[in-house]
Amino acid sequence: MESLTRRLYIFTGKGGVGKTTLSKSFVRYLVEHDHEAVYLTFQNQSLGEVHTGTSEKTVNGIREISLDLEECARGYIEKRLNSKIISSWIVKTPFFRALINMVPGFSYLIYLGKILEMGKENPRLIVVLDAPASGHALIMVESTTNFKQIFESGVIFEDTGKMLARLNDPEYTKIHVVSLPSLMSWQEALELRAGLKERTPVNIDITVNNCLFPLLENDLEKLPEGLREKALNEKQLIQENLSEMRCILPHSLSREATAIEADLVGSLSKLI
Amino acid sequence: MTLSTKSFEIFCGTGGVGKTTLATARALNLSQNGKRVLLITIDPARRLKDLLGLQGDAVGEVTEVELLGSKLHALLMSPEKTIQRMAKKYNTPDLANNRIVQILSKPYGGMNEILSMVEVQMQFDSGSYDVVVLDTPPGAHFLDFLESLGKIRSFFDQNFIEIFSYLGQKTAKAGKKVFGMGIINRFISTGVRKLLGYLQNVTGAEFIDDFIQAIQIIYQSRDAFLKGLSLQDRLKSRSECNWFLVTSVEQGKAQEAVELRSHASHFIHEDHYLVLNKCLEQELKSWNPDESHLIQVKASLEGKEQLLKKKLNEVFPVVLEFPEVISLSPTDHIQHLTERWKSYAPQG
Repeated sequence: MESLTRRLYIFTGKGGVGKTTLSKSFVRYLVEHDHEAVYLTFQNQSLGEVHTGTSEKTVNGIREISLDLEECARGYIEKRLNSKIISSWIVKTPFFRALINMVPGFSYLIYLGKILEMGKENPRLIVVLDAPASGHALIMVESTTNFKQIFESGVIFEDTGKMLARLNDPEYTKIHVVSLPSLMSWQEALELRAGLKERTPVNIDITVNNCLFPLLENDLEKLPEGLREKALNEKQLIQENLSEMRCILPHSLSREATAIEADLVGSLSKLI
Repeated sequence: MTLSTKSFEIFCGTGGVGKTTLATARALNLSQNGKRVLLITIDPARRLKDLLGLQGDAVGEVTEVELLGSKLHALLMSPEKTIQRMAKKYNTPDLANNRIVQILSKPYGGMNEILSMVEVQMQFDSGSYDVVVLDTPPGAHFLDFLESLGKIRSFFDQNFIEIFSYLGQKTAKAGKKVFGMGIINRFISTGVRKLLGYLQNVTGAEFIDDFIQAIQIIYQSRDAFLKGLSLQDRLKSRSECNWFLVTSVEQGKAQEAVELRSHASHFIHEDHYLVLNKCLEQELKSWNPDESHLIQVKASLEGKEQLLKKKLNEVFPVVLEFPEVISLSPTDHIQHLTERWKSYAPQG
């Protein structure tokens, strides 16, 4: 087993670019290379939504965890105040709920805190986070800085400081922005990366997913005009920006999500 | 199928599907039909931002845009500017000056959804527009946007007033400026007092003081927030609002669109449309490859699109299809998509 210091991989990008498939596939890649890895998502953004509690299941040998906000908030407060009763009461108060719900950055702070807590409990665990799309990814990355500024002292201030140090540690965290091979998607990925770069010093790579090129490279004349132009646009985009693309993943001919995940595994070594 | 024009048109959906371009094309189509249109957008791609002239000083301000020979107004949300407008309109200058409010209303401070509701309300109230087209934040966060209405309510909930009275007393003791909290001072719950005690244990005292001030200032501006609530009924009303749920063939995710709708079920009435962007069907129809690997590619592309359409048609009353525009110019995209909207909209 190769040694790997990173413990948090964040996959983000516009909705529908294949973040979920790619992050699950990456967990599979890590597990196949003898790492202990888990796929993680955030179940909800506000308190009081229908929620089922943090859930964990294993699908085809891959651990999948869906974190519940209320449970994470309760856990944090319990640890800080040393009381289960008080923490259960606090998360139920209308004041606390309204506060968390009004300010989405707060919920990300709670979730990120939970992820780092999981890392403390099991230092070998690699978390692959199927993160919120673009705008919210920026809110998430910025939340620790903002809240550190808001709380000028106290336990939460120290905790957010520790979180910030971890999240901003290139040896610990890596961010993958996922894009499609269209100009619009690519430009949005570049903008997202630039936005993230302003907020964190960790490495941010762009992966281009679902490419017809080079799959159809030798067949361009055989394609109908529009499709050929689409493939040529992809070709141009890929050739012009090759140095900025960490990984180029081909269009999968499979139909089922799990089959697509399996198709991708072999192409993911560069994402480490 | 023709679409009737309402006072509000909401575009929502998973990001990266061309939602903002479709919303812009729709706004242009309405403007060509003689409507006074305001397009409010949250996070457009840079080229579209350039095309709409929404950079620099224009961010957060209503800007007149000329596109393909028609004029419309566009506004790129800036939470900071919205807060400033609220402070001015409701004469609560402290709102724009409070440290915590300032941090939270940074572009990614997290207040975008809630403030976009307030902005839509303020803009429509100005009486300058027949239609406000709102391009919502992408993905499941469209749900935050919807929920923001409920969040405003819960923030100013009667139960919540208790905290202000307690905070009012506390700041009075500390010799700070006290806002008009007198009438509610009688309702002090011991719960609030306890909660603040615990809060202080973890946050430190400075935060509590700043926080109290922020809460009081936000509370002073509650009318502006609560007015956002009246919008809720209008968005729910079939005669006032069209809903467009946008997805694309590229994404191939029927499930997400279905989930969006089910989450939003208390808002969405019969007049909601599934907009399916980037269809390749027409293009693929004319292609008859004879080599097996190309037959496979065609089958993969066509099969995924057909499966998606089938699923969508099962659950949505109307699916509006837009072909993939293969061009590098955003103006071309808008032009093609506006033409397509024309075929759906009544001509005026």
